[in-house]
Amino acid sequence: MKKPSAADSEATQVSTAPSATTTTTTTTTTTTTNLKEIQSLIETGAYSKEVRRISRAVRLTIVLRRQLSYGLISGFFSRVLPVNSEAYKRLVSYVPKDSGSDEMDVDAAPTTQPPAKHVLPEMEIYCYFLVLLFLIDQKNYDLAKVCASDCITRLKNINKRTVDVLASRIYFYYSLVHELTNSLADIRGNLLALHRMATLRHDELGQETLLNLLLRNYLHYNLYDQAEKLRSKAPRFEAHSNQQFCRYLFYLGKIRTIQLEYTDAKESLLQAARKAPSTARGFRIQCNKWAVIVRLLLGEIPERTVFMQKGMKTALTPYFELTNAVRVGDLELFRTVADKFASTFASDGTRNLIVRLRHNVIRTGLRNISIAYSRISLADVATKLHLNSDTPAADAESIVSKAIRDGAIDATIDHANGWMVSKETGDVYSTNEPQAAFNSRIVFCLNIHNEAVKALRFPPNSHKEKESAEKRRERQQQEQELAKHMAEEDDDEF
Amino acid sequence: MDPQLREVAQLFERFKAAFVRKDFNTCATLLTQLKVLLTKFPSLPPSFQPTPNASEELTIARQIYEHAVVLSVKIEDQEAFERDFSQLKPYYTDTCNIIPSSPEEYPILGLNLLRLLVQNRIAEFHTELELLPPSALENPCINHAVELEQSFMEGAYNRIFNARQAVPHETYVYFMDLLAKTVRDEIAGCSEKAYDYLTINDAKKMFMFSSDQELSQYISEEHPEWEIRDGCVFFQKAKESQPWKEIPSFQLINQTLSYARELERIV
Repeated sequence: MKKPSAADSEATQVSTAPSATTTTTTTTTTTTTNLKEIQSLIETGAYSKEVRRISRAVRLTIVLRRQLSYGLISGFFSRVLPVNSEAYKRLVSYVPKDSGSDEMDVDAAPTTQPPAKHVLPEMEIYCYFLVLLFLIDQKNYDLAKVCASDCITRLKNINKRTVDVLASRIYFYYSLVHELTNSLADIRGNLLALHRMATLRHDELGQETLLNLLLRNYLHYNLYDQAEKLRSKAPRFEAHSNQQFCRYLFYLGKIRTIQLEYTDAKESLLQAARKAPSTARGFRIQCNKWAVIVRLLLGEIPERTVFMQKGMKTALTPYFELTNAVRVGDLELFRTVADKFASTFASDGTRNLIVRLRHNVIRTGLRNISIAYSRISLADVATKLHLNSDTPAADAESIVSKAIRDGAIDATIDHANGWMVSKETGDVYSTNEPQAAFNSRIVFCLNIHNEAVKALRFPPNSHKEKESAEKRRERQQQEQELAKHMAEEDDDEF
Repeated sequence: MDPQLREVAQLFERFKAAFVRKDFNTCATLLTQLKVLLTKFPSLPPSFQPTPNASEELTIARQIYEHAVVLSVKIEDQEAFERDFSQLKPYYTDTCNIIPSSPEEYPILGLNLLRLLVQNRIAEFHTELELLPPSALENPCINHAVELEQSFMEGAYNRIFNARQAVPHETYVYFMDLLAKTVRDEIAGCSEKAYDYLTINDAKKMFMFSSDQELSQYISEEHPEWEIRDGCVFFQKAKESQPWKEIPSFQLINQTLSYARELERIV
């Protein structure tokens, strides 16, 4: 839902970018230097088997994304891949030569360096990744599809941990392209096969990504049953990527909402909204929308601040009005709101959930009545709740009796006189309630602390070797870069 | 015409004839034979091979399973219903590009929703509902099930009883009868909590019984703890939860100790 729109808007920005970059040669040269840096990163990463270097290369690429052009890419290819290798020929075929204008200033680059002698698998997959990104930004979806499928065939024959990072990005864009062209159903079998492959190879990042893609695929067609079956059977492990984990939580929340497990759903959705980076606005809006509905279904009323978050106000307005209707317990108002925003709710896929809310509106209305009146006739209850039926009093009677049974209100019904008599509410502090509430809050806080301690990460083998001053400087520099790119990457990921 | 297809068609005609005669035993035997024959068609799910007769084969297979579902309702076999329905479902979801949709689709989907409701499988009910396009919700058969679920959740039980008179399809009656039983139990559960007592006449009306005997029989079977005297039904109220007289010391000690342990870990 939100991903294509986000990518679309991004793509529209990008499509204007190449023409701008070609005019300013300075940008092109910096891009070329950046590409060289990426090249060296991948090469050292591949030789020293350090996954983090590869992930850094991916992050750097995301920054470069807007400056990519045909010339730059083909220049890069001829530099990193042997010209007569098969990989080169295949990859170059995805880069059409038609926009020749910007080629001259880049083609000078390969002559300064001797071309690579053999093809590193990491480099080859990276090249695919670069082309794929570029094709998607150019909205050349058909070619992107072919390119992605080709790359995936290639990936099936490469079993290296250093490729996993790149592979997971490829899977992601593979699915994105199909979503943009509305052909997600066609790739489901492939994704399942890839997930199996990733599991066999202990590629946890790949499993994580593919599981999310599959869930998204199922949910796109409202196949909640299949999604839940897959989710409950797929292996779970500690999350490798925050973004993937957020997505997983969101999908999990959606599935649970449909299956009426509201308490768990609320937890997942709120956690997803909280964990998501602040730049991923579309994602957080979606999370909030679902979370609001789930909380309403649970009988909670979300605070006003939820709807006033920066940049979400307009998107959440329909849900704000809905909340208001539920809070007041006015069926008439609820119906008006549901009709007024019917199209919004339909496109959010929340329409059926809102139908479920009707019951909550009645409950809240009933609770208000039972607090306000110590004794009220059932006919009046029916009028106050705006029950449209032929036998309002009888309807009201059975509704009230069910509410009493479910513990929503504390009252009795006097059938002979047709009254509902509310009971005096007892002193809550004479029960164990406060103790239980206190306990649950303390446990929550302690859990947060423990989770935070567990989440601390240390570099591998750091306790064994003392790092030299030079190494430390390098590491610090990298960390700074990492922090800088994190924010930008987040922007791209959602 | 393909000989296999002709054989299936002939057998299906016999099945339909027996179905009209209400000879359900013959129907069941014929159905088993038909299902075996259907396995020989490569165009059916899950392989969906585009054979020349694909559309005829799919159409007849779909009809056979539709009849199978209705048959299972007639012989009141819920397990068979579930089985046949899951065999039928791929025809509705995955064949829309090959053959036109069936006129029986919505009645059968609605029937399935009703079954899930009767079996109190609400989560699956909603999962199925999500699969339907918005336009389907306006169909009387689907709408019927959706409204029943709503009334059920709200507690507007007499609306469910009224809905029984207005079933959109004759096969729905069987499940509606089952639903009526569930609803009666629900009403009994609610009344127990909501009323101190009811007169026999009111209780009779509320539980939808036609005679006093039925009511007293129901009470003695299902709720022996209720008491009938002076022309009224008295519900034995569950004892009000008294304010806690004693301190749950053991639990408190455990909680406090765990706080101490956790705090120590932090400091």
